[in-house]
Amino acid sequence: SVQAQKEEDNPEKTMEVNGLTPVPDSYDYDLIVIGGGSGGLAAAKEAAKYEKKVMVLDFVTPTPQGSSWGLGGTCVNVGCIPKKLMHQAALLGQALQDSRKFGWQFTEEVKHSWMTMTESVQNYIGSLNWGYRVALRDTKVTYENAYGEFVGPHTIKATNKKGIEKLYTAERFIIATGERPRYLGIPGDKEYCISSDDLFSLPYCPGKTLVVGASYVALECAGFLAGLGLDVTVMVRSILLRGFDQDMANKIGEYMKEHGVNFIREFVPIKVEQVEEGTPGILKVTAKSTMGDQIIEGEYNTVLLAIGRDPCTRKIGLDKVGVNINEKTGKIPVNDEEQTNVPHIYAVGDILQGKLELTPVAIQAGRLLVRRLYAGATTKCDYVNVPTTVFTPLEYGACGYSEETAVEKFGQENIEVYHSHFWPLEWTVPSRDNNKCYAKIICNIQDNERVIGFHVLGPNAGEVTQGFAAAIKCGLTKEQLDSTIGIHPVCAEV
Amino acid sequence: MGWEEMQVRGYPEFVRTAQSYHGRPIFALFCGDKDAEGRSWCPDCVTAEPVVRKELHNLPDQSVFIYCLVGDRAYWKDPNNEFRRNLKLTGVPTLLKYGTPQKLVEEECFKAELVRMLFTED
Repeated sequence: SVQAQKEEDNPEKTMEVNGLTPVPDSYDYDLIVIGGGSGGLAAAKEAAKYEKKVMVLDFVTPTPQGSSWGLGGTCVNVGCIPKKLMHQAALLGQALQDSRKFGWQFTEEVKHSWMTMTESVQNYIGSLNWGYRVALRDTKVTYENAYGEFVGPHTIKATNKKGIEKLYTAERFIIATGERPRYLGIPGDKEYCISSDDLFSLPYCPGKTLVVGASYVALECAGFLAGLGLDVTVMVRSILLRGFDQDMANKIGEYMKEHGVNFIREFVPIKVEQVEEGTPGILKVTAKSTMGDQIIEGEYNTVLLAIGRDPCTRKIGLDKVGVNINEKTGKIPVNDEEQTNVPHIYAVGDILQGKLELTPVAIQAGRLLVRRLYAGATTKCDYVNVPTTVFTPLEYGACGYSEETAVEKFGQENIEVYHSHFWPLEWTVPSRDNNKCYAKIICNIQDNERVIGFHVLGPNAGEVTQGFAAAIKCGLTKEQLDSTIGIHPVCAEV
Repeated sequence: MGWEEMQVRGYPEFVRTAQSYHGRPIFALFCGDKDAEGRSWCPDCVTAEPVVRKELHNLPDQSVFIYCLVGDRAYWKDPNNEFRRNLKLTGVPTLLKYGTPQKLVEEECFKAELVRMLFTED
């Protein structure tokens, strides 16, 4: 067989040619993790605890607008962290308004500086990126800022931003490459539109913004942009928050509408053109109705696409090693031990088929997987009853079944829904809405009225939901809930 | 051109010096004052300094290394001192890349690997 040698200090690295697999005496690493996000880093750090030789490859392909970021993955750089901070910025704006009713006096108009906020947020993210680098180095995990792809069953090619390629071998692999925002595939989308990948580091205030999409990303972004005082419109193709309890989704939409977010329902953009260059410039969006032939046009400073995210699994050489992916979605099917169809290749995080796309889920799955691989553990990741929160202006926390899914699974006659509106005490004095906050639980009548779904719409929904998630995991029943005395005066007592 | 070292004492001198080198990569090591015999009141600083100095040859060209004595122990313990307030320092020794969130604090400064990483990577 002919073997090509790399001109480096490592003559034992060879590329597979003529279909012959060279069997190395030992691999470079016990484990190579492709992707330095929530799942990947958790797995790598855990493996290092068991004295395994681990490498993490992380690389961010810049967005069409040129945005990029450091180690840590989506959550840290362009997801949960900056999102929650900007949501907080918007909440503080509201709090400033409320504060006058509580006696605070200030004469100046309160204004918001996008640049000040973004700089602070990016600074914090930078410290997290650095913290991860220190943590990896300290635990002797090798980190390379390089794009990893399979070239052989146990071999990865890593290409850094200068185009330099290196080969590494490992006994096992974890794919944790995550996802990136989807584009519409219409004229002008990549040239003129931004995505969440660009928003949190945008070096200028986005101005009048059109958000395309009805995902939680779309609604959360639209929510805080409006909260910061910007003119925001959301263009929705059909329903809000697909996959979430629709009763709650509609309440969220109503609240946003009443608080200054414009909605254009049942339209999709077909073209984006630039009217004027600038930071921001002016863009013209042409959209077509999904229900007929009606065409509308609008001008905005910024168009933010939030129509979904696609897994980064198509260009990492999975075909070369025979790892199956869902051709349509790009997701990777795994068994309940996060193992792909190739025994020594595993996957965690957003790329998994049929699993929740959440940071804590990826972290838990990554850690437990590594403990099973190297520490003899047997615990598998529990994907049931995972709590989540959507940080729209009126926050929504949920754990367990939506009402629709519960009806589908157990039958309308076997479930009981208990619900209540509530008025947070803090909202009374500033005369904020008295009929918007809402909570409901869904119980399984046939199983002792076990609580199988928990939904709350109100301030601090995430904080409220976390405790209930633990209770649900313990098998909370309606009776137990009733007999738990409430804390007063808090929203959670409802 | 290589790198150069500046030795300063106290916050105003540090700021003046850092500003005068605006545009070049600036790394700074903050330590407790030294007595007449050259010993610092800060034992971790005593440990860290030789480790850091050994890695200085890794500094990128054009860099400036500012060795800054912060003050005596009483000054440092004051939670409102200028280094804590303005530079957000939480402990000595601190080794940082000025103008970025990249820094090493206390025992992190003992590790040559980490010091080298701070000096050499983006």
